[in-house]
Amino acid sequence: MLNSMILSYITFIYFFSFLFYLLMMVMGKEGFGRVATFVTLMGFAGQTFAIALRWIESYQLGIGHAPLSNLYESLIFFAWTIILLYLVVEWRTKNRTIGAFATPLAFLAMAYASYSPGISSRIQPLVPALKSNWLIAHVITCFFGYAAFGLAFGLSVMFLLKKIDRPKRNSFFLKIIPESSLLDELSYQMVVIGFLLLTLGIITGSVWAHSAWGSYWSWDPKETWSLITWLVYAALLHSRMVRGWRGNKLAAFCIVGFCCVLFTYFGVNYLAGLHSYAQS
Amino acid sequence: MTDRGRQGGVQSFSLWGAFTSIKLTLFLLLLVAVTSIFGTVIPQQEGALELAEKLSPGLFRFLSSLQLFDMYRSLWFRLIIGALAVNLIVCSLDRFPSSLQRFRSVPKADREGLFQNLAPERSFPVKTQIEPAREVVEQVLKSKYRKLETKDGDRGTFFFGEKGRYTYFGVYLVHFSVLLILLGGIVGSLFGFEAFVNIPEGDGVSKVTLRKSRISKSLPFTVRCEKFSVEFYPNGAPKEYRSDLAFIKDGKTAFHGPLRVNHPITFEGITFYQSSYGSIPGDKVRLSLKKQGTEENLSLEADMGKPFPLPGREGEAVVTDARSDFMKMGPAVHIQIRPTAGEEVHFWVFKNEKMIKQRFPGIFERFPKLNPGSFKPYVFSLENMDSRYYTGLQVSRDPGVILVWAGFLTIVIGLFVTFFLFHRMVWVRLSEGKKGVVVAVAGMGNKNPVGLERELDSVARELRKKLDGAPS
Repeated sequence: MLNSMILSYITFIYFFSFLFYLLMMVMGKEGFGRVATFVTLMGFAGQTFAIALRWIESYQLGIGHAPLSNLYESLIFFAWTIILLYLVVEWRTKNRTIGAFATPLAFLAMAYASYSPGISSRIQPLVPALKSNWLIAHVITCFFGYAAFGLAFGLSVMFLLKKIDRPKRNSFFLKIIPESSLLDELSYQMVVIGFLLLTLGIITGSVWAHSAWGSYWSWDPKETWSLITWLVYAALLHSRMVRGWRGNKLAAFCIVGFCCVLFTYFGVNYLAGLHSYAQS
Repeated sequence: MTDRGRQGGVQSFSLWGAFTSIKLTLFLLLLVAVTSIFGTVIPQQEGALELAEKLSPGLFRFLSSLQLFDMYRSLWFRLIIGALAVNLIVCSLDRFPSSLQRFRSVPKADREGLFQNLAPERSFPVKTQIEPAREVVEQVLKSKYRKLETKDGDRGTFFFGEKGRYTYFGVYLVHFSVLLILLGGIVGSLFGFEAFVNIPEGDGVSKVTLRKSRISKSLPFTVRCEKFSVEFYPNGAPKEYRSDLAFIKDGKTAFHGPLRVNHPITFEGITFYQSSYGSIPGDKVRLSLKKQGTEENLSLEADMGKPFPLPGREGEAVVTDARSDFMKMGPAVHIQIRPTAGEEVHFWVFKNEKMIKQRFPGIFERFPKLNPGSFKPYVFSLENMDSRYYTGLQVSRDPGVILVWAGFLTIVIGLFVTFFLFHRMVWVRLSEGKKGVVVAVAGMGNKNPVGLERELDSVARELRKKLDGAPS
């Protein structure tokens, strides 16, 4: 179908974005960064068009629904939210170095969706359990939350890399990474946004579960892991109030938190249950 | 308040003090997170039965006694959550008085110290005279900050505006919401119930089966499934399940309507959810009778439980039972013959006779109860069996859910107030300098210093625009 073909090309556009951001950091020329931003914007516009097209194509097939219903569609949407959030952050902070750490996440998600043999890009009809308005609210809030945590993860990696930068070292790559306090502050802001969105995601999921299955919380692996993720980030937010918990410990926490996000998204499919994408 | 005295280097321990610790909060949050992981990798409840077959009985009993197979309802897990709730309550009570104090203490309007060393964007001369300037400043500040205080001093006129003083309480709202959600869960599990029931099409039930204990529970009304329909997509995936239900009380139909997935029906406080379906044998059975030694082959339709006469008037036959899968050999009906002379005979008649004869040669001869030719001279065969749908419903009442929804609403509001709204205080000083009137803008806030700077810049810009452009 046209939409999945476009999306498979967008994968490479994001790869080129990543290359240009990386070139900017290694060669130290802002020009590469401007190209990178341009390429990313083009990719984002194309991806938005493809997603809208997929939505329309589903109606043409008579099984119209928002493109958020299976693993393929959620991966595409995840990449879209990461790029959108990154572009907003780039615009507000005027800083392009974060691009080298954000675009690979989007590229990997798109590559997995488009080229993994186990994932079908066909538009599939909605089974009765998915026919609900809560689907859109739940998926959107969850994935924007995941994207914010993904950016916090990228920022934490940058923070730890910066730590190995010494005045004697002449690595332009490390020098161009913004200073630690900015990374720390930005990472915290991303965690705050992600936490609010994840809370909304869990809430919309619970309300939906209650109307579909009669129980707003049944401790199934996906629900439980989303709670585990929530608890880890709640601990992170509290830890900023404890002295001595800035910097390295926080960055490590963000990385662990994002691993929980990844397990909540992908890992639980290997654990069976009501939520498993593996069944579709 | 807290009792943490020091006596010669020894710190006295107080339980209250221990629970005011945020380090304890960190520990408990991560403890709940890590222990929850076990419940996702160790099979829970029904899944554990499979595991039971693979483990030695002793090991399984030991793990079972630790309540590892129903972990989230176990005592130790609930104790950890209880400890977290206590920690939350104690921390909030401990810190609330100082938040209240901060909320109550209103700063002075004429704080001279703030206006030292201001950047030129924040301290600038204007062409307007002091009296009209005063009105303009008042009007600008009043439009941005509801609370405005003015104080005339010998160094000039001071204005103080602020907003968002209440945001200090955001965090308490978040914590209160968590308690509300936990309370909702407790109320639901104590005073509510979760059950399921299967209703064949056309039948009504007034009892349901509780999910946990498998005990039967009576309802104060009858639920009847008038019709069940299931639709499929061309690719075989289910498209819609729909049960048309009627709720009967005191002999009258009080309510009827369609039940679909994601569209539950609540009647008298009990909610029904479309969960599953299946098919069971129906009321009509199509049989054929062959008379041995002749070519006669009679085909007839029999109703379950209604006797019909045998064609040769040898007696009566009745179909007493029908199964869609009897002894794993496929559909079968149970026939009882009451001959006019002689004893009753009964036997099962299978639909897939040929297949069974191939797989189990001689089975009919060995077991007369499975032999369709047990009543001579007739040989019965089962041509067709009606089937009926039954609809599988989840039935529950949860009086605590309203508390949980309230908790969800307040936690979102609380998080927003805590992280996205700020306490901002702005001071403006109007003073008479050598070259004319000088305006100075300064401010303080509790969070988000970048945002504070942006806000002060915007106030200064607006004042400059209105005062420099205003007639003197």
